Amino acid sequence: MLLNELKVGDQAKIIRIADDVFRTKLLEMGIMPGTLVTLMLRAPFNGPLAFSYENTLLSIRNEDAHNILVEKKMTHQ
Amino acid sequence: MRIALFGNPNTGKSTIFNLLTGLRQKIGNFPGVTVDKKSGVIQIDGVEHELIDIPGVYSIYPSNKEEKVVYELLVSSPPHQRPDLGIVVADASNLARSLFFFSQLIDCGLPLVLVINMNDIAEKKGISIDINALQQAFSNTPIVFMNARVGLGKDRLLTAVKRQIERREPEHLKVSNSLKKLGDLSGQEEEAAQRHAYIGKILQDALHVPKTSIRKNSIDRWLTHPIAGYVIFATILFIIFQFVFSFAAYPMDAIETGFGWLTKGIKNVMTDGPLSALLCDGIIPGISGVLVFIPQIGILFFFIALLEDSGYLARAVFLMDRLVRPFGLNGRSVVPLLSSMACAIPGVMATRGIPNYKERLITIFVAPLMSCSARIPVFTLLIGLVIPKMKLFGFIHLQGLVLLGLYVLGIVSALFIAWIMHLILKQEKRSYYLMEIPEFKRPLWRNILLTVFEKIKVFTKEAGGIILAISIVLWALASYGPSDQRSEAIASLKKTTAYKTTSSAEREGLKNAVLLENSYIGIVGKGIEPLIKPIGYDWKIGIALITSFAAREVFVGSLSTIYASGDNDNEFKLLNKLKNQKNPDGSFVFSLRTGISLMVFYVYAMQCLSTLAVVKRETKSWKWPMLQLFAFGAMAYLGGWICFHVF
Repeated sequence: MLLNELKVGDQAKIIRIADDVFRTKLLEMGIMPGTLVTLMLRAPFNGPLAFSYENTLLSIRNEDAHNILVEKKMTHQ
Repeated sequence: MRIALFGNPNTGKSTIFNLLTGLRQKIGNFPGVTVDKKSGVIQIDGVEHELIDIPGVYSIYPSNKEEKVVYELLVSSPPHQRPDLGIVVADASNLARSLFFFSQLIDCGLPLVLVINMNDIAEKKGISIDINALQQAFSNTPIVFMNARVGLGKDRLLTAVKRQIERREPEHLKVSNSLKKLGDLSGQEEEAAQRHAYIGKILQDALHVPKTSIRKNSIDRWLTHPIAGYVIFATILFIIFQFVFSFAAYPMDAIETGFGWLTKGIKNVMTDGPLSALLCDGIIPGISGVLVFIPQIGILFFFIALLEDSGYLARAVFLMDRLVRPFGLNGRSVVPLLSSMACAIPGVMATRGIPNYKERLITIFVAPLMSCSARIPVFTLLIGLVIPKMKLFGFIHLQGLVLLGLYVLGIVSALFIAWIMHLILKQEKRSYYLMEIPEFKRPLWRNILLTVFEKIKVFTKEAGGIILAISIVLWALASYGPSDQRSEAIASLKKTTAYKTTSSAEREGLKNAVLLENSYIGIVGKGIEPLIKPIGYDWKIGIALITSFAAREVFVGSLSTIYASGDNDNEFKLLNKLKNQKNPDGSFVFSLRTGISLMVFYVYAMQCLSTLAVVKRETKSWKWPMLQLFAFGAMAYLGGWICFHVF
């Protein structure tokens, strides 16, 4: 599934990132296939979303989240 | 020695910069880009060194124009321009990511000092770092712990810097073969993977993070809630505006009164003459006109810095991004644009945080369309003149409704122009919105006050000169004119019965009106009458339009002079005088359609030299302020024309 399809609270593992520039940017920030992320916030009206990884809360735009393929690990209870 | 300060965003780099340099900071330019270069002086054992604050980035490979500075400084620039030494600030709670950038800097061959900035958050999470293990991995780089927010570890850092200045030994790491060229994406990707693997291995021994640290976000859920989020944001803005409007007025009045006293004092001491007039009516009001902006700039930046330093600003950006993006703006454009409703100057200066150049340019460009506080006296006067005091449906004040309409017109036009620019301007590269949302922290007063101080300094130093020069020119044009024409006009005024039969105070007013009419500005005002006749203005309004280039609110004072209302401070008297003014054909000058045309003219016209000077300063070119002057001028004219013919 795609990162933007997660529900707030879901944890997932990143499988693949499309878009070369975006992938390189995220890699430099320490986000790569295998990184565990948790979806934390969603802005209203399909705005940006924020996920946490390691000790960071990072926000990206909804359409950029379409480029990130993830595997759901844990559903929010 | 030139020392550069590096670090990721949100690592406490600016806090360390402020801690080391205090007030000894200055703003310059990185060559070739519109990025400010902040540098300061640090003293180690009586020797002074230059400390340069490098923009916060995650990698030396840039993702936008501003970030290019880092790569250019370290790789492309000639060796003598490169720094001699680097201090790298690493965030203890994000050590892996910080060391990634650190490892790239090592490969640039720069001798380094590594600061691990421990913050309360890292401590609370129970993160522990084995400094000996790290020191073994990077043996040539002194590593120190700091807690910059509480000011701990400054001496340790300075000692380490001193040691590295003496030895100047770069680290040898060579994770990858060499740094890649810009644009070599697959090379950069491969390199990044190697660096992460290398750092991961080192951190296995050196870093211990307890497993349980899942971040709570209940406050953030409220701050970004579809209803509560906007309500909170609006409330915060409301409070800020209350402060700006109620508190800025006192120091602004004090500045104007103070300079008024100064002028009186000088007039008492000096004999009347061109020199005294230049000083008292040209230079001193010019300086006062620059300084009078400082309270608003100071108060607005105090709050903007407070929002930024506490971490709230990132939530507001997150919340607003989607709403303004269709117009080519960024979530970060919202606070600068809203600040422009107090004054466009701090608004334009606050666009510094917008990472994408195109989005920043659009924000700067449309900021003056947001209705600023200097338009209020103009709107109030015009509404009082032409809009009747009546209520719609028994409870809506028509005058208030018109004022609201003018504000809405400004906002809608700003968004429309932004959208047009978004379609026209080319993007060099696809922009990515990647923003860290920092955890809330208690704001640090030193950081906030230094920001306020820096903004005021930049404004007075770099825009102040231009504003002062132009206001002196405007004063000269308004107070001088062809001398024989002026004396003739005064002579014929003295023959009129109106002059002969009135009081001496009224006579003074009539004289001033004639003098302004026959000044160079008056001649220009008359000259443009054919141009402004189609939108409903006579030459007297033309004169007021030109003089109000110094500042919009001057419009009111100029009308008062030109219509010889005598007492400049009595608005009621001025209003009555203006209401009864008639054209040669007997119709009223300030008819409904002229009034509305003028209001719309003032919504659009770029009549603020100070803003133009600041836009030039921020975009580093006259191109954009000139475009604003002419484009908004054309919109003002067109808008005025339409209103004059519709109403």
